[in-house]
Amino acid sequence: MHEMGIAQNILDIALSAADKEGASKITRINLVAGELRGIVPLQLTFCFGLVAKDTMAGGAYLNIEEVPVSGHCNDCGSDFSIKEYEYVCPTCSSTKIKVTGGTELSIRDIEIE
Amino acid sequence: MKINILQDVLQANDRIAEENRQFFKKNHNMVLNLMSSPGAGKTSLLEKTAEKLAGKLRLGVIVGDIETTRDADRISKFNIPTIQLTTGTECHLDANMVASALPHLELDKIDILVIENVGNLVCPAEFIVGEDFKIMILSIPEGDEKPLKYPLMFHESALMLINKTDLLQYTNFNLESARANARKINPAIDIIEMSCINGTGLDEWVSWLTARYHEKLSGAGRA
Repeated sequence: MHEMGIAQNILDIALSAADKEGASKITRINLVAGELRGIVPLQLTFCFGLVAKDTMAGGAYLNIEEVPVSGHCNDCGSDFSIKEYEYVCPTCSSTKIKVTGGTELSIRDIEIE
Repeated sequence: MKINILQDVLQANDRIAEENRQFFKKNHNMVLNLMSSPGAGKTSLLEKTAEKLAGKLRLGVIVGDIETTRDADRISKFNIPTIQLTTGTECHLDANMVASALPHLELDKIDILVIENVGNLVCPAEFIVGEDFKIMILSIPEGDEKPLKYPLMFHESALMLINKTDLLQYTNFNLESARANARKINPAIDIIEMSCINGTGLDEWVSWLTARYHEKLSGAGRA
């Protein structure tokens, strides 16, 4: 259940950004979550609803854009998406793979009134 | 109105982890973040490690549990500086919790600091605390498919210890499958088979630990 701590961090970042703009309400938060972070969207939105209640982000829509795992082959240079955690280059079968996507967890933007 | 933010959600944690890291660097500590399911053998591993390192390298331990000081009590019997963090409801240690333990440890008298995380295969892998390496234990009764079910921890770990190999004969655990599954997630992961009960693999583990410590001191380091 790391979702509660993450929800609190999302709220803190959003509130601080909205405060700076003199906003009175946060209506939407666009979050980017890599598949490797193991976020359960339903659980995160539930936790966010709890921590955001009674703040200007109460009732805000938390949009979670899930990013699949992607990799770069250090041998042949190809870029590809990694499915089922198969860390093998589909072109040359090398296992020298650098993970290039799927570990991110960031707030892209928020919408305020 | 839309405001661009582009901020990592765990930036606050990562900043404190970096402060911890600077603190460890100043004190010449090699720091491991030890993770596993509950009951995989983290505390037993530390007991055995304390015996093996006695008189060679100075160990220190920060141990996280949701409740009780039982693990700290077990480890401190070996005259090792040990700080227990009880996390209450939190399922993992974060950088701030680790930072709160540091003033209570004489870090300049410690060579290797092991942070024994809360038993959990998911959340601890999410939070860096200032460690040099994440390492993990997979124990035989858990089954050989765990790397596929909980990929992040296996992906983040530099070493996987397969513990309780003394129980192999009573289970359908397949060592080759476990190795293949872990390497599928993380081709670079080191793997050591061991048993805290019969002592298998303990020397190999201590060699791994000692080699990483000397690399760190010499500034060579790995990835």
